[in-house]
Amino acid sequence: MVEAKHDVLIVGAGCAGMRAAIEAHDAGADVALLSKIHPVRSHSGAAEGGINAALGNASEDSPAEHAYDTVKGSDYLGDQDAIEILCNEAPGDVYQLEHWGAVFSRTDDGRIAQRPFGAAGAPRTAYAADITGHVLVHVLYEQVMKREIPTYEEFFAWKLVMNDDRCQGVIAWDLLNGGLKSIGAKTVILTTGGAGRLYVGTTNAYACTGDGMALALRVGVPLKDMEMMQFHPTTLSPTGVLITEGTRGEGAYLLNSEGERFLKRYAPNAMELASRDVISRAEQTEIDEGRGINGNVILDLRHLGAEKILERLHGTRELSMTFAGVDPIYEPIPVRPGAHYHMGGVDTDVWGLTEVEGLYAAGECACVSVHGANRLGGNALMETITYGKRVGRHAADWALSNTTVEVPPSVEADAERELKELLDRREGERPWSIRDELAESMHENFGVFRREEQMRKQGEIVTGLRERYESVVVEDKGNVFNNDLTQALELGFLLDLAACMVPCGIERKESRGAHARPYDYPDRDDEHYLKHTLVSWADGEPRVDWKPVTMTNWKPQERTY
Amino acid sequence: MHSELAPAPGSTTIDVALKIWRYDAETGEKELKRYEVEAPDWVTLLDVLDIIKDKHDGTLAYRKSCRMMICGSCGMRMDGAAVLACKTRMYDIAKSGHVPVISSMGNMPVIKDLVVDMDPFWGKIRRMKPWLDPGYEEPLEKERIVSQQQMNVIHKEALCIMCGCCVSECNSMESDPDFFGPAALAKGMRFVGDVRDQADVARLNDYNDEHGIWDCTRCYFCNERCPKGVDPRDAIAKLGAESIKEGIDHDMGAKHAQWFVTSAKTTGWLRETELVPKTQGVVEAIKQTRFALSLVKHGKVPPPFPPHVADRVGEARKLYHLVKEQGRDGALGIVQGEHALGRIEFSEQAGVKTTETETT
Repeated sequence: MVEAKHDVLIVGAGCAGMRAAIEAHDAGADVALLSKIHPVRSHSGAAEGGINAALGNASEDSPAEHAYDTVKGSDYLGDQDAIEILCNEAPGDVYQLEHWGAVFSRTDDGRIAQRPFGAAGAPRTAYAADITGHVLVHVLYEQVMKREIPTYEEFFAWKLVMNDDRCQGVIAWDLLNGGLKSIGAKTVILTTGGAGRLYVGTTNAYACTGDGMALALRVGVPLKDMEMMQFHPTTLSPTGVLITEGTRGEGAYLLNSEGERFLKRYAPNAMELASRDVISRAEQTEIDEGRGINGNVILDLRHLGAEKILERLHGTRELSMTFAGVDPIYEPIPVRPGAHYHMGGVDTDVWGLTEVEGLYAAGECACVSVHGANRLGGNALMETITYGKRVGRHAADWALSNTTVEVPPSVEADAERELKELLDRREGERPWSIRDELAESMHENFGVFRREEQMRKQGEIVTGLRERYESVVVEDKGNVFNNDLTQALELGFLLDLAACMVPCGIERKESRGAHARPYDYPDRDDEHYLKHTLVSWADGEPRVDWKPVTMTNWKPQERTY
Repeated sequence: MHSELAPAPGSTTIDVALKIWRYDAETGEKELKRYEVEAPDWVTLLDVLDIIKDKHDGTLAYRKSCRMMICGSCGMRMDGAAVLACKTRMYDIAKSGHVPVISSMGNMPVIKDLVVDMDPFWGKIRRMKPWLDPGYEEPLEKERIVSQQQMNVIHKEALCIMCGCCVSECNSMESDPDFFGPAALAKGMRFVGDVRDQADVARLNDYNDEHGIWDCTRCYFCNERCPKGVDPRDAIAKLGAESIKEGIDHDMGAKHAQWFVTSAKTTGWLRETELVPKTQGVVEAIKQTRFALSLVKHGKVPPPFPPHVADRVGEARKLYHLVKEQGRDGALGIVQGEHALGRIEFSEQAGVKTTETETT
């Protein structure tokens, strides 16, 4: 039964999804949001440090400088046309957020405050203390409420509806009431965020299971640069909870067990404000060489003083105290690298359109590519807003040009049959140990540093886990809030993505950005690998292809900080 | 580096027992079930629920997402008081041998186990018209110029994560399910207090309606239980003060509050006998004649003439003028509950380090 039909249906309701919904609504389209969690629960809200735009409020700045820093930060794997669009549109998009009511921190003269962030040539990161993502999620949801945009809350998107070579809707499991529901749409936008749950140590929420990437992959859309998983340098152990880069933006030090600011040996100029990939590798090297403390290095805020910590980093203090038992006013915080952000994702053009007509993606779920091999702090929130806006506008315009919608009954019947098979299975393994083994092995074998033999071993592990998953059992057979079922489906998504990431990592025989192979290919190899990996699913296994990087103004140079 | 409250992560395990109120929506059955698990010593309540769901009972239902106190999914009750499961460290509780009872939040219908229906909650949020009314359609070319000091007015309200813990504990809502409630009213204050919002008078009128700000009983449970230091009761007090400042007093609650001021200013003490007619009007007051006579009989009513004036009425009047002079007759005059950060600093939550510097 088709529940409803819309011009634009957006799967995922974080910053990118809500920004797209607002834009599509304002363009005159009938738009709906669909999300497995309530919009304000989205993981965009956990972004802390800020959002990058060349407002020039703290010093001279320009979109061109923002673009250069982003290109360099991407280790030249970012598409420069996409980056220029982002940096040019960013200031206007941030002003728009302010006019909607975003509670930004302010400069002494009442403008939006901006702080220095890693690998940025100017203090460019606009912020709301250290809860910037929270503030943006709420201001966007306020605008969604104002427009009365319908939201399918707690609907778990499980299948994309393909018909006539177009994506024409979504089949979703209704968590509150049970049952599969089909929602037809002229265009579908995937804004489901990242897949950090592939790793045991991650800043990502439980919800970050790469749903949109896997949905796209399963209807034949290639994923781009999937080997590029960013490890954030400052996550709390053991939980992986994020400590913002804003701490270093405000002047915090990273120290090893000898009390040394070890970055002087890795990034003597930028020190703690070097790029994230550089710092994560430095930390991991210190830990591996025995200069860590219980597998951590330490982040020292004490010299910033109580006043600054209380005013600008109160959320950080709250997190440190709750999850590490450490008050950063008096004690340093133990931190280590943790999986944080997927630069890779659904391959799209600069309007968020995929290879499949009617199917779009934006935000972390997509790979436009703005971030290339390494994302700069503060650019993710900006991408959700600017590309959320662009994808919403394009999808609305396309949908409003008289396209019809049909969800073929056979598609629904297939989904029902597949689900019944899963729910009827009573003998076998429950998903959690597969999930845990996947996350632990990815961390071990496909983490900050990568070795050929470990990656190959990981490929075998993933294959084995996928076989076990074939006979997985869902214990809850009920209809009401059956997240035992949806968590099993999420694991299926994660396994598909892991299977795609590993061969991309093996094929990229160089070190670039987040993909570091110090033991066999320690250098960047522009001659052979200045190109995107493109992975698609063919004959039951991943197939890796390549796609050129779009260059406009900037030639690759050696990247030092 | 680690205090006793938060031992070094992963070094040991602890045995944790919970009793969970299970609720099956399809049969309507309720059952208090006991679970015992072995867990790493750093676990939170949410981690324990995860272990139970993975290894013991896949049908257990609860919401979760960020596990870092920002998404607001995992509000529930522990021993009858609302908590965020992800913020609640279990070490001390488990070590003490106590077996806490976990149940769904209050004032919201239960869907299954620890999952509640939040539609009524969101309906009340929407009732506040919770979006900025800037007073113009087309955005300006740049940002508006607003000082940090002006933005600080709504600092605490902007911290709200909509978890529902305050609503769960709200005594007014328990007796009047239509009461707007602490979360919605704090959201209202987020806009009334925002210097950029042009609809504050309309909002205040609206929030003064039946079931609005004056129906709060001031039990302070919302302040007590908010996991983010939003202090919703303070927000409600600020809305009340702003209403009176704007001359919005159509609710009895406002009249009641005003009489305290008038009474203190004129005679330096609270003339309770006049409180009822001043608050509820003469007609209502007549209805309470029998009660009034009973008060007289028991010597509770001083003779009205000559009116008693407190010896130091001058002090009361001085205070009144000081408040006016300093412009503290609106939200600025509300004495805050402890600052959000202070609350975090002195939280008694297991696993949270407390410090000696409470006066700084």
